[in-house]
Amino acid sequence: MNSNRIIDHPVLGSFEDRPIIRFTFDGKEYEGFQGETIAAALLANGVRTLRVHEESGSPRGIYCNIGHCFECRVTVNNQSNTRACMTEIKEHMRIESGKLQPAPLKSEAGSAHLPRTYAAFAEKHPTRKDGDLDV
Amino acid sequence: MEDIIICRCEEVTLQHITETATKYKCSAREVKLRTRAGMGFCGGRTCRPAIDTALATITGETPGHDIPLKVSPPIRPVSLAVLGGKSNE
Repeated sequence: MNSNRIIDHPVLGSFEDRPIIRFTFDGKEYEGFQGETIAAALLANGVRTLRVHEESGSPRGIYCNIGHCFECRVTVNNQSNTRACMTEIKEHMRIESGKLQPAPLKSEAGSAHLPRTYAAFAEKHPTRKDGDLDV
Repeated sequence: MEDIIICRCEEVTLQHITETATKYKCSAREVKLRTRAGMGFCGGRTCRPAIDTALATITGETPGHDIPLKVSPPIRPVSLAVLGGKSNE
């Protein structure tokens, strides 16, 4: 369990035996030591991806690790947008990663021909008015 | 080089910012409104210096306080639950 941790540090001293805390991340159970943050405990367990970007799905993890950038936000006990780097693990904590979200309003490839403004719409359909039914 | 992501919250690349700033010859604030760089979850705290630097290179704009990128930095982000006294964390 200590394989990824610094257990003997010239300045910080040696790693004391601390109580083990159990928590789940995306349904899978992990162990960490009391006083560790979610981000630290998961990193020690080899988990580096804490969420994916809502729109693109590219992975995100620890970036600033000082509570500044909100890149590591996860859902903790149903509380969304909690920073993993600033939250200590607690016994039986349920942590969920950030998932890909639907983006129904995002313009997609192939929609470039659609009018994007009222002016562009009027130019394309000179006879139709705003509110006309699409028949 | 151009694939570098400047704004991680909204995934805006240096290339996107460069193209927008060049095409519209615009200020840092207009780049923000057009590309969403700096409008994400962190409130621009992470990428604002990078956007300012990129704009200084592209258009020669010097970051000032007249029309800023609209950041009102708090000492630290605080949830409404904490402000309302319903939580201590």
